[in-house]
Amino acid sequence: MDQDMPFLRVDGVSKTFETEGPSQAPIQVIDNVSMDLSAGEFAVYLGPSGCGKTTLMRIVGGLETANAGEIFLAGRKVTGPDRQKGMVFQAYTSFPWLTVLDNIRFGTKYRDDIGGAEKDEIARHYLELVGLQEFADFYVNRISGGMRQRVAIARTLAAGPDILLMDEPFGALDAQTREFLQYQLLEISRVEKKAVIFVTHDVEEAVFLADRIFMFSARPATIIEVIEVAQHIEGKRTITTKETEAFFHLRNHVRDLMRSQAKDLADAEKSREIEE
Amino acid sequence: MNRRSLFAYRGTSSGRSDLLLGACAFIGFITMWSLLSHFEVVPQRFLPLPWKVVEALWYMLTERNFIEDIWISVARVWGAFLLSAVMAIPLGLLMSDYRIFGTLFEPIIDFIRYLPVPALVPLLIIWFGIGESSKIAVLWMGTFFQLVLLITDDAKRVPREFIEIGYTLGARPSQITRNIVLRAMLPSMVDSLRITLGWCWTWIIVAEIVAANSGIGHVIWSMRRFVKTPEVMAGILTVGIIGLVTDQAIRWFHRRYFRYL
Repeated sequence: MDQDMPFLRVDGVSKTFETEGPSQAPIQVIDNVSMDLSAGEFAVYLGPSGCGKTTLMRIVGGLETANAGEIFLAGRKVTGPDRQKGMVFQAYTSFPWLTVLDNIRFGTKYRDDIGGAEKDEIARHYLELVGLQEFADFYVNRISGGMRQRVAIARTLAAGPDILLMDEPFGALDAQTREFLQYQLLEISRVEKKAVIFVTHDVEEAVFLADRIFMFSARPATIIEVIEVAQHIEGKRTITTKETEAFFHLRNHVRDLMRSQAKDLADAEKSREIEE
Repeated sequence: MNRRSLFAYRGTSSGRSDLLLGACAFIGFITMWSLLSHFEVVPQRFLPLPWKVVEALWYMLTERNFIEDIWISVARVWGAFLLSAVMAIPLGLLMSDYRIFGTLFEPIIDFIRYLPVPALVPLLIIWFGIGESSKIAVLWMGTFFQLVLLITDDAKRVPREFIEIGYTLGARPSQITRNIVLRAMLPSMVDSLRITLGWCWTWIIVAEIVAANSGIGHVIWSMRRFVKTPEVMAGILTVGIIGLVTDQAIRWFHRRYFRYL
């Protein structure tokens, strides 16, 4: 392994989607994006909806292939999806035919590095980590959306990934549940010391969670600014973090950036309409 | 607004009232039939009293060894149905999993399934004779191609995220199909199988009427020759009862094993 290689390296990634229909030109969604991430770091991809940040995360996860550029995770080139790159989606992906505990245990199903007894132990451990002991034997259709996302997170962690890729996992939840899960996720990432890439278009969520925010432009996505949140908001994040002045200033700064991107996006749409 | 009412728009109701109402329709049907027959609105030669039909059924069961014909038909239906299912499930999964199989087979299967099965019966008799294999062939033709497409659709409806989760948990494609896709589509697959099994009962009667010397269809057809209307109707009734019982049994199984739904 290269000594200089960071834990995650995204190197000059571009992505173009072919579109159906004769008149439609291919759409470029990512334009030459590079970034590094160190082990245990919490990164947030923030940008306007439809800008391509999710696509970049999916490329990191090996679920999409880039047209140009390369990804290296823990020194190895990413060629496809595997257990090292755990995913949590916005849609509920816990399996309805399994109970909460069995869903979490499913995360260990394809691990050949551990035996059956240890798999049970890991499943129990993550069940407790997300605080769902009381619901272990419930089918996931019987629990709330927030709980289902906790099951999904626990299942992904049980697979023992190197990095956690989360695509707006709290996007479908109500504000209270969302805030609670943000806090719980910080706790989990602190305990697990796992690198996280968290995709969102919610500014507050981004500032609260991130060590670093990667601010994306409107499509095609480029990184327009990297915000070192950890340098501005020091120490452990708590419920009261959101009330501090540092948080307030940073949030306003990021929000202005977001607004300018959203405006660019709207202008671009308008000019295209006029052309047509 | 009280939604727990039989008359509310998309309202709910209790299991007991459902059962009662369902029974009412049967009772109404039988009453209507009895009246039409009793007052000879339709001559009894053509529409015997319901009781005569039951009597005929009893007579056929006890004196004419009708139970054997029933078993033969049931065996043919289940034999052909299982053969269809065993072939259709893997092919349907393959067609949904790999574009090569989907694009290769879908157009031709779509074509074949629109061929009218009764029109194929003469051809199948030429090919397979009048033994058991021709009946199985008729049923197979009538169900396999439909079932493949139903299974393919069931598999395609499994959310893409489920498959991606499988990959990121370290599963290989074959494991994803077996442990995730098949499991996720199981409830809708059981429904598809239940519907297909119902069709089998249509095709078996067609097959047995055309060429058979046993089975419910054969009995119905031979009774017709002597204008034994009660016996003909008893034969039809038997198919109806078997269909109803099987359907309810599978529905019960569905509720029992897919409790999480």
